[in-house]
Amino acid sequence: MSKLLRVIAREHCIGCYSCMYACSRTWFKVSTVEKAALRIKNYAGAEGAFSIRPCYGCLDPDCARACPVGALTPRPDGGVKFEPDKCVNCHKCVEACIANAMQWDYETKMPIVCHQCGICTQFCPNQVIAMVDIDRTRKVEP
Amino acid sequence: MKNFYMLDIDLTTATSTKVEVTHLFERYIGGSGVATALFDEIDPTIDAFAPDAPIILVTGPFSSVFPVATKTVVMYKSPLTGNLGESHAGGRLAMAMYSAGFHAIRIRGKAQFPCTIEIDDDDFKLNSASSLRGMSALAAERILRDHYKSDYKRSIVRIGPAGERLSPIACATVDSSRHFGRLGIGGVLGSKNVKAIVISGGKYWKIDDPKAFNDYYSKLYQSVVGSDLMKKYHDLGTPVNVVPLSKLNGLPTRNFSQGFFENAAGISGETFAERHLAQQTACAHCPCGCIHMATLRECFDPDQHMYKTIKVSYDHELIFAWGSNLSIGDSEEVLKLLYYVEKQGWDAISMGGTIAWACEAYHNGMLTTEHSDGLVINFGDAETFMKMLKRISTSHNEFYCDLEKGAVFCAEKYGGKNFAIAFGKNEAPGYMTGLHSYLGYATGVRHSHLDSAGYSIDQKKINSKKTDNEWTKSMFDEAVLRVMLNSLVICLFARNIYTPQIICEGLQLLGYDGFDEQRLQEAAHAIHAMKIRQKKKLGFKFSELYLPARLEKAATTCGHVTSQQFDEQVKVYEELAETDLKLLD
Repeated sequence: MSKLLRVIAREHCIGCYSCMYACSRTWFKVSTVEKAALRIKNYAGAEGAFSIRPCYGCLDPDCARACPVGALTPRPDGGVKFEPDKCVNCHKCVEACIANAMQWDYETKMPIVCHQCGICTQFCPNQVIAMVDIDRTRKVEP
Repeated sequence: MKNFYMLDIDLTTATSTKVEVTHLFERYIGGSGVATALFDEIDPTIDAFAPDAPIILVTGPFSSVFPVATKTVVMYKSPLTGNLGESHAGGRLAMAMYSAGFHAIRIRGKAQFPCTIEIDDDDFKLNSASSLRGMSALAAERILRDHYKSDYKRSIVRIGPAGERLSPIACATVDSSRHFGRLGIGGVLGSKNVKAIVISGGKYWKIDDPKAFNDYYSKLYQSVVGSDLMKKYHDLGTPVNVVPLSKLNGLPTRNFSQGFFENAAGISGETFAERHLAQQTACAHCPCGCIHMATLRECFDPDQHMYKTIKVSYDHELIFAWGSNLSIGDSEEVLKLLYYVEKQGWDAISMGGTIAWACEAYHNGMLTTEHSDGLVINFGDAETFMKMLKRISTSHNEFYCDLEKGAVFCAEKYGGKNFAIAFGKNEAPGYMTGLHSYLGYATGVRHSHLDSAGYSIDQKKINSKKTDNEWTKSMFDEAVLRVMLNSLVICLFARNIYTPQIICEGLQLLGYDGFDEQRLQEAAHAIHAMKIRQKKKLGFKFSELYLPARLEKAATTCGHVTSQQFDEQVKVYEELAETDLKLLD
């Protein structure tokens, strides 16, 4: 079992972005939403229909598979390890993530990798996201 | 001290410059204070729609840094009052301005063609936008979000057709459902040929002392989500007051003719929540989430069971303006009207207040079916109100064109000034709790109930031994405090969280060295006085404030209010303001 970030109540999201602020603040020590390793998407004219895109900590991560230089490698507990020195700024990892969960740092031209630390869940006022025990051996999650 | 920049836009030449304005933020904090300082340069005789009349947008030092500092201030000359125009809006705008690297944006000149202003980091563009002409405020947002791709979170400010028609009661809509509502910024943007502003960026401030910063942030966050300080705002929201106010004779009903609305239960916060609330949403960086989004499902073709669902936000002011004050006691009717108002881009309070005047003017024979082209205008007739709105939006005839110029304009032309319920020419908000609610609308720098919360003072007066003069002093102190909160551009719903001590702590974390409570208080008095001075330069006179005569006849929460009481307390307030003005010498 490993704890991984999951959306447990998408419909409760109010779109406050507190999770994204928490992530940027914690890992980059900056005040912004743009350095966060997850994204809250909102849609025009339909305020209230938010979509949450966190890193799912895939078993066989598409992002790592897409990386041509091995800068991203799967971690045993889920998610990926990122080695910036190897990164060639090709953006392929972000394109490979169908959920658009992997974010791109336009400043460094590198991916923003989720550490599965759960700080974002501590700043969600409505328990939309949580760190959930995931059985890594099961192919289909409950 | 962090650095603050202004984007200075000249629409006439389609150029912009980046100006450092850190000194202004150091002295006047931000928001309302900095906007006032920048606005001080204008020629007081300038026409509100003149190309040189500026539009000044300002956020504050806490914007996108600490929670619930979500608002942006816009300042301009109001085409409705001819005086100082200032409106505040939430949404994502403060976050997007911060991310673009601008805490202030000044817009002057006039574009040669209908345009959108695009700001992405330091890139500024003026784009021809003929295809958006006449487009509703809601459709414009959908299209602009599709058209302008950005790597970053965006904010979209735009006007509806009302602003394009230069209505002095037109608003600017921010993101999905927030507004620079009052005093006519929509018309001013329209006069400059600006349909929309799209803004985004990837800039940020570094956190200098992460441990202290995170401790402070967590304390604020916990007081928003973990205490009762903001509970009522995300619970039923401000409409929680509808029924209690009515029971206290404080809910303006049928053009302020009484404070009790017999159908208050039909438009109460509880009714809206049970029948319509889709969910609460939030401005960027506010974990409270006070925006109440309603849905209304309607069958538009019964033969084929065809349905549509509209979505529109609601709050107390909208419910008063389109419910009790027009004698509409059905939440569905209120939502249908609000949706139309939202698309056209009128300020909902002003448009509702003007329709309320029209109902009464029709009853008194000042208006006839000749003016209305056949429509009989009655309180409670939502169907006719919808027809009127459609006629206003198609400029059906002179009378309908006049209706989007506000209640005072109409009353001066057609009669009924004693029941054109406006203060400083701004249609009154939704409280008739007594003398201090009216006094607050009259003396407030924005003629808003939020300037000094007189309605709250009226409710405290019950069973109190304090004199009116003492309460007016309390109201003045509140006005000064709120000017400071509006300079930080903290949402006023969070006023109990951001105490002066907490504010100073936050400012110090951002490098405002030595900013203690005394300095904060001094800055607040100076900013408030500057605004009063500015209003006077633009022609405002305390002596010209009056209580619309009809209000003398209506019982409020605190009983009847006389013009004599009103005039006396205006003088008391003026003296307090004059004392502060001497600080500027």
